[in-house]
Amino acid sequence: MAKILRFRFSRGEKLKYIAHLDILRVFERAVKRAGIPAAYTQGFNPRQKLVFGLPMSIGLTSESEYADIELSEDMEPCEFIARMNEGLPEGLKVEEAVPRNTKDNIMNQITAARYEIVFEVKEPKSLFEIHSMVYDFLSREDITIEKKTKKGYRPVNIRPLIYSVSAEKTAEDRFMIKAFLSAGAENNLRADLFMQAFIQETKLEIDILSMHRKALYASAFNEWKNPFEVAND
Amino acid sequence: MHPLTMMQLKIDDRILLKVEKPAKYTGNEWNMVRKPLDKVKMRFAFCFPDDYEIGMSHLGMKILYHILNKRDEVYCERAFAPWVDMERLMRENDLPLYTLETYTPLSEFDIVGFTLQYEMSYTNVLNMLDLGRIPIFARDRTEGMPFVIAGGPCACNPEPLADFFDFFVIGEGEEVINEIVDEYISWKEAKESRTEFLKRVSCIEGVYVPSFYDVIYNEDGTVKSIAPNTPDVPDSVKRRIIKDMDSVDFPEDIIVPYIGTVHDRIMLEVFRGCIRGCRFCQAGFIYRPVRERSYEKLCEIAKKSVQSTGYDEISLVSLSTSDYSALPDLCNNLIEFTEKENISLSLPSLRVDNFSLGLMDRVSKVRKSGLTFAPEAGTQRLRDVINKGITNEDLVSSVRLAVSGGWNQVKLYFMIGLPTETMEDVEGISELSINLIESCRDISGRDKFLNITLSTACFVPKPFTPFQWEPMDEIEVLMKKQYHLKDLIRKRTRNIKYNYHDARISFIEAVLARGDRRLGKVIYTAWSKGCKFDGWDEFFSFDKWMKAFSECNLDPKFYANRKREYSEVLPWDHIDMGISKEFLIKENQKAYEGDLTRNCAAGCSACGAQVYKTGICAKTKRGLIYGENTEV
Repeated sequence: MAKILRFRFSRGEKLKYIAHLDILRVFERAVKRAGIPAAYTQGFNPRQKLVFGLPMSIGLTSESEYADIELSEDMEPCEFIARMNEGLPEGLKVEEAVPRNTKDNIMNQITAARYEIVFEVKEPKSLFEIHSMVYDFLSREDITIEKKTKKGYRPVNIRPLIYSVSAEKTAEDRFMIKAFLSAGAENNLRADLFMQAFIQETKLEIDILSMHRKALYASAFNEWKNPFEVAND
Repeated sequence: MHPLTMMQLKIDDRILLKVEKPAKYTGNEWNMVRKPLDKVKMRFAFCFPDDYEIGMSHLGMKILYHILNKRDEVYCERAFAPWVDMERLMRENDLPLYTLETYTPLSEFDIVGFTLQYEMSYTNVLNMLDLGRIPIFARDRTEGMPFVIAGGPCACNPEPLADFFDFFVIGEGEEVINEIVDEYISWKEAKESRTEFLKRVSCIEGVYVPSFYDVIYNEDGTVKSIAPNTPDVPDSVKRRIIKDMDSVDFPEDIIVPYIGTVHDRIMLEVFRGCIRGCRFCQAGFIYRPVRERSYEKLCEIAKKSVQSTGYDEISLVSLSTSDYSALPDLCNNLIEFTEKENISLSLPSLRVDNFSLGLMDRVSKVRKSGLTFAPEAGTQRLRDVINKGITNEDLVSSVRLAVSGGWNQVKLYFMIGLPTETMEDVEGISELSINLIESCRDISGRDKFLNITLSTACFVPKPFTPFQWEPMDEIEVLMKKQYHLKDLIRKRTRNIKYNYHDARISFIEAVLARGDRRLGKVIYTAWSKGCKFDGWDEFFSFDKWMKAFSECNLDPKFYANRKREYSEVLPWDHIDMGISKEFLIKENQKAYEGDLTRNCAAGCSACGAQVYKTGICAKTKRGLIYGENTEV
């Protein structure tokens, strides 16, 4: 029984077309429909105390998103999971939940993310060629891209935000890049920006077929940790 | 039952991830209706000829979607006008317009129904038919193709669209739509021809089949007559209404979109119609008589809706919520529920008085930023002409109340180009607004003067209003008035921000609103030149429209700027909206005398809506009924 829960959820194909704020709204409404006793903020426009680990951009699927929710009364994690899943549409599913005792909310704890990006090359390439492109890409000290901000485009060096990259072949003309990237409230590198840099540097002509978030990590004492492991630190 | 040629499209990520807000095109929203297609005898595509974010805010669609889908043998699905980025990709990839429920092209449906909310969406109707691979002209549709139908407020003058629709539905749809479906199913089983179906529905009250009527014109271009060309077709088509608002079905399980829409909340329809009778306002006449829902029913709907949608906002919807006879009961009961459930309640279209201010203090959503007032005209004389029964003193005291309650932002809505308007009346708009700021100086606090956002719309004369005979101001005159007002305001104060509508858009709207059947070819020509989303400033092309008129040899000014005689046959004279022409003529004459007409709650003025024998007409006291004591 706990008043604050941390839960992991997945987002499938059917709900990948909506933006982060829309996901937040879907959860708020699901909580309401499910009659889950959420705690609300004080003030003129009360909101549920619901915090997400990392925003999801349009087009991204994930098997490993995290969020914290504060309740007004104690609830068993398994009951929470069952009731939430009744209120959630197809394409969003709560997979696990644990009590959270740490004062840090999930948003402040997330520091890295693992992605799988599948693409199709427009001209045939061997896996060896792709591997050497990845190698060249990673050997650069400076990878500057034009990042779109509210005030227009701004150059950013994203190389320090890339931890590791590998590639494999999944079908004829299809490859999958596995990327381990910096994430979180500070120093976040989105998968689509990473791919923008990869295309820019390698001059590869590709169609991106899917982007998937495999895992999110918190860090503690120089170790990557599952966000559930740090829920009680 | 249904042909097996049915196709379900697969929309690729290579399209969806290239457009803005792809969730507009993917459906699958919470409460979207799913049905086993093999049990369905009739498939209905409800089309909204504008963007998803606008269409999903439309209450009428939610109501009819619910009513139709309650029947197991019927499946109602939705389609919207794709935004320009999506349309381009659809055309490039040879993808037809499809419904969000099953990704079925429009051409596969039995009936494709459009709602006509605004004249400037007419070209979108044509564009959607074209994208949906349905012949644009009704006469080109053959056996096996969908019937294309329309309803909504603009259907009260269906003539400009007569070439494109197989039939129109006049009035409220909840009952008549079921009658049409019944007729469709039995027609299909009887395996009759397309014309036979049109004959069957033409016998349903409220259905207008334009191809069964011939229009004859006079030499001067006015209408000589509109008469049936087919036996057993009524001379005039009567509007349908719902008599009892408590017994008609209202959707409690509305679709909850994933992306934000214009009205992304539960809409509680408090009543239909309006008691006021402002002479410019079409809605004030074509929805008569006022019919209320009981507050008990409304509270019940509110609770069930929250449960099934998870929405945290409820809004009261009607033409003038303050006129609801049980407003205190409704609000007290609703607030008790919304406070407990952390739901915010918004109360648009309230008149400001002590009661409503107290109310606004209690409801959470109304932040102390904006209040809206619609004086509509700048001088008392002109407000009397349009029967807008508010005075300067009313306004000043309302705004003072609001300012002393902590509001320091006010929105004011006016119209320019109203009948009899002079430059003095236009100047009155700035006088009135500046006077409001001045009269609140003593209570608004030093650094927080009252700020006003002032908007003027261009008056567009509409059918079934007392101003249906009036000429619209010429574009140049409207623009001159706008610039003059802008100048006046700029010279006097910085506390007013002035917005005004594009007079050229209003001009086209005016042509379409009172047009006749000959305009069909203009609309078609304008669409062929690329006109769409005409109500959006960024897409509207005045030049293309004007070229379309000249290619079709029609003068738009004949429709927009010409004064009609009372004796002229109007293109919509065969549509019976339940408001008598005699009443509208009398109202028109009273307008010129600046004579007010009392509202329906104060007493009956015999507008004609008594024929429905329901709502406020049935409540009006004996002795006031049918035109006795009609003056204030």
